[in-house]
Amino acid sequence: MSALTPARRPDPRRGGGSLIREGRWALVFLAPTLLGLAVLSAGPILATLAISLTKWDLLTAPKFIGLDNYTALLSDDRFLKALRNTFFYTIVSVPIGLAIALGLAAALNTKVRGISFIRTAYFLPVVTSTIAIALVWQYIYSANGGLLNEVLGVFGIPAQKWLSDPTLAMPSIVAMSIWQGLGVNVIIFLAGLQGIPTDLLDAASVDGAGTRARFRHVTLPLLTPSIFFTGVLSMISAFQVFDQIFVLVKPRPTDATITVVYFIYENGFKTFKMGYASAASWVLFLIVALFTAIYFWSQRRWVYYQ
Amino acid sequence: MSVEAGAVPRSAARSQLARRVRTGRRAVLVALLIVGGLLMMAPFLWMISTSLKTRSEVFGSPTLFPLVPQWHNYLDMWNALPFGTFFFNSLKLATLNTIGQLISCSMAAFAFAALRFRFREPLFALLLVTLIIPFQVVLVPNFILYRMLPHPLSTSGNWIGTQEPLWVGAFLGGAFGTFLLRQFFLAIPHELADAARVDGANPWQIYRHIYVPLAKPALATLAIFTFMWSWNDLIDPVIYLRDIQTLTVTAGLSLFQGQYVGRWPLLMAGALVSVLPMILLFIVAQRQFVRGIALTGIKG
Repeated sequence: MSALTPARRPDPRRGGGSLIREGRWALVFLAPTLLGLAVLSAGPILATLAISLTKWDLLTAPKFIGLDNYTALLSDDRFLKALRNTFFYTIVSVPIGLAIALGLAAALNTKVRGISFIRTAYFLPVVTSTIAIALVWQYIYSANGGLLNEVLGVFGIPAQKWLSDPTLAMPSIVAMSIWQGLGVNVIIFLAGLQGIPTDLLDAASVDGAGTRARFRHVTLPLLTPSIFFTGVLSMISAFQVFDQIFVLVKPRPTDATITVVYFIYENGFKTFKMGYASAASWVLFLIVALFTAIYFWSQRRWVYYQ
Repeated sequence: MSVEAGAVPRSAARSQLARRVRTGRRAVLVALLIVGGLLMMAPFLWMISTSLKTRSEVFGSPTLFPLVPQWHNYLDMWNALPFGTFFFNSLKLATLNTIGQLISCSMAAFAFAALRFRFREPLFALLLVTLIIPFQVVLVPNFILYRMLPHPLSTSGNWIGTQEPLWVGAFLGGAFGTFLLRQFFLAIPHELADAARVDGANPWQIYRHIYVPLAKPALATLAIFTFMWSWNDLIDPVIYLRDIQTLTVTAGLSLFQGQYVGRWPLLMAGALVSVLPMILLFIVAQRQFVRGIALTGIKG
């Protein structure tokens, strides 16, 4: 774009005059997407709702049982435990992960030689598969001979069963997830930081604001859209936690680490209770939708758009 | 700023002091960042170190370096399961997914950014809603759908047990890719398209010869993300694949984990080999990667 037309974007909502009016062409371009919406994403959400009202093992015809699956879920201890664990995971991992990422991004946003090399170290866990990462963490957390116990042993801290102790298992998984997810949030925050006009910061310095005051009163407010966005992403993916659980700890027998998606996986694809798994899916969907709605509603109270 | 006598040397001294404090502070910061970076790298370094150890070394007190690097661990791991086939499968699926997403998402993004039609806004909103839907919600109906589709080469007669469910969907668009590319397309001045239209170009030609070439950086970003997601995907291969010859690297690694419990050197060798392609891709394409996250994140 030329410098003479600064950030002139057509407003798609009002449809600037020179957009091409072509319904038929749009249909051509959107055909794959429309098919995908119908059979793979939007359509199946409704299908899940329908299946959730049935008892279905895939072998015999589905039988309509009304809301029985939902009432059964509410008195299923495993499901309630899965819900509790999922909430714990989300409520702990999201804020801590965001706070660490914010601090890191502020620190990484300096012009020092070799900084890009350091940044790479923080991004690396993001691109590696959870299974590979979980494998090494499984070994680090291992009760006998695991790195963590050995290191803590040096300081006289007794060995812990990080993954099989019911009280330690979820926090251990949260710690690993924060480590893995840090990079994505750091990248978003870095981009946000680099988008903050330097003249604003300079003006604040001239007015006598110190580093901390500048961060608190200039940087942080201007960064709230990024914080909002990473918050949504982190929250939604936290509610969906599965890979870590699947690889790190098969939640049987204590169910100390069972999460909702693991519950769905087990019921749907291990024991083929399609109706029951679908009902659990819908409960999860409603919870995520509710939280996302509340979160979006809250943004006008704390998100500052320039 | 005052200009009284004597102020000049004093303020100069003060600014020198301030500069020194700033450099000092910065040095501490960089040192902290390096320590943090090493902490972030630690699991990877531990992976490398363990992969070269003997079985008995693993259960002794931890050492950073193996006594004698056991390079044969890699060979043992590679031969324990058909990892060559797993790599081929992952590469094939990741490539198909990437091609599918590039084509279908760029087409949809073009429609949303440059064409005007009824229901454009509600349709785009619907697409965005699918972005926040947990994919597990559609897991069951998708499984059932693929179970209904006939497949001539499959032992089950349907798509379950074949690799088709792991890539066909990529050709049917996607919220993330469409959103990413639409953001980019909106920044293309539509005077370009208008001019081409006056010259008699149809929308397909405008898409093909103006938007796609100009959007190469965004397309590269989408390609990298799709490739990475496909490569790292675990739940879909675990659900759909049955035969060992069809497994991907992640599913193969999961199988390997179950068969070689406690044999950490081999498991670490496997994990390391499985992530190597992604690490290389990331190092080569770090810029596109970072921009992709930033582009979808902030503007809009």
